[in-house]
Amino acid sequence: MSKRIVAAALMAAALLAGCGDDKNDAPATDARGLPSPIRIATEGAYPPFNYFDPSGKVIGLDIDIVEEMCRRLEAKCEITPQNWDGIIPGLQAGKYDAIIAGMSITDERRQAVAFTQGYATTPGYFVTLKDNPLQQVVIEPPRLNLNEIDPAEQAALDKLKTALKGKTVGVQQATIHANFLEKYLGDSVSIRRYDTQENLALDLASNRIDAGLADIIAWKPFLESQPGQNAKTFGPGLDGDVFGQGMGIALRKEDTKLLEAFNGALTAMKQDGTLKRLSEARAGFDASMP
Amino acid sequence: MLDLLSYGDGGWGDEILRGAGMTILVAVTSFLLGIALGSLGAAGKLARGRLARGAADAYTTIVRGVPALLIIWLLFFGGSGAVTWVAQLFGFSGRVEVDAFAVGVLAVGTVSGAYSAEVLRGAVLAVPPGQMEAAKALGMSPFLAFRRVLVPQTLRYALPGLGNVWQLTLKDTSLISVASLAELMRMSHLASGATRQPFFFFAVAALLYLLMTVGSNAAFRRAEAHANRGVRRAA
Repeated sequence: MSKRIVAAALMAAALLAGCGDDKNDAPATDARGLPSPIRIATEGAYPPFNYFDPSGKVIGLDIDIVEEMCRRLEAKCEITPQNWDGIIPGLQAGKYDAIIAGMSITDERRQAVAFTQGYATTPGYFVTLKDNPLQQVVIEPPRLNLNEIDPAEQAALDKLKTALKGKTVGVQQATIHANFLEKYLGDSVSIRRYDTQENLALDLASNRIDAGLADIIAWKPFLESQPGQNAKTFGPGLDGDVFGQGMGIALRKEDTKLLEAFNGALTAMKQDGTLKRLSEARAGFDASMP
Repeated sequence: MLDLLSYGDGGWGDEILRGAGMTILVAVTSFLLGIALGSLGAAGKLARGRLARGAADAYTTIVRGVPALLIIWLLFFGGSGAVTWVAQLFGFSGRVEVDAFAVGVLAVGTVSGAYSAEVLRGAVLAVPPGQMEAAKALGMSPFLAFRRVLVPQTLRYALPGLGNVWQLTLKDTSLISVASLAELMRMSHLASGATRQPFFFFAVAALLYLLMTVGSNAAFRRAEAHANRGVRRAA
């Protein structure tokens, strides 16, 4: 009797295990060659980009951007929350067609997936105490992209350098912000390195350093805390070059039509200021990139 | 701080509780699947046929020797392909998605079954052979002897071990959070991400897991007492 049971169990197991290398049927596509619906994964644990509100709905800047993009493309989109571990393998396994999850564009990830142009970035900011004379220095424009530096940007960079000359600037060690200080201001400021952002903020609050440099997202908890009430950002928000290429929407490499469509929509949303408007409304700062 | 746990759309209480409910549902389903697989496995291990023994040995050796997380990944990424392939054999075209619940129950149940198989095998062997021989001598049919003599006594020996397997199964369900099933671990992760209060929410989750295990411990103790009725313990 047990022989027959085992044989049946084995057959069931064989069916379940199956073979993994089969070709999947392509999902439904519309006339433009775009998948319909476009299934988009996000993580849901990275505010303000993607997170759950207490009613269990996934919200955030990433979601705002996707909704606006899909509206412009007149495409039907579905958002699926997906754990960060395995979010790229899931894309390759065809569980969804795109990932928008505050994912930084890196060369390592580019080997596995294609990225749209950067749709958002978290600019680096200097923060000083409010009574620091540096706060009197006005530097325009408010955002500085270091990829292609035009004369106005060069002037702003020079002004920043002059203002910070001889000052002590704190930064978390082994970060892109430390790289920025070394590359652009290494000969004019004295750099103090910290193991954590918290220790950097503590020393700033107790006036042991003139300024600190970090990501706006990293500053937020400090600026919203009690000791942070005396502190304020100073100078322009920095991105580009050592700060990386921002966050992109990840796609399978072969989905070139979807990549083209997404890039087109993002370009239009950058040009008419929609990205800036969406990010200021959701995150409280301008996350858009040129 | 506690208002973070309020019920309704303003707090995470209902989400966390629903997550805990899902954890219990997955754990119970997986454990029952595990008992079924484990019984098959134990029968295979005790069978005379070499094929059955080999298959059962392979099952417990492989599954107990591979991390549960890895089995979940294999089913999560390979599962859809496999089911689609089977569906196509039956003439269905298109893609079949396996949902996270099915993947989770199958994965955790498979692991749970491998441990249950060993527990049940040991319990069956602990029943003195004279018991079944006596049943046969009394003229019981094999099924009646199985139901009246073997199963009750096997349970008596197996319950403490199965209680252990149940606890492992309950805790293994947390691994399914990687497949984005909205169970307790996943919901605490999401809540801590949204509120930036990881310690608070993971402590709440730990407390809920502890409540579940302590509660089920009591249930298993009662079941053991019931299975041991009629057996006097030496003072």
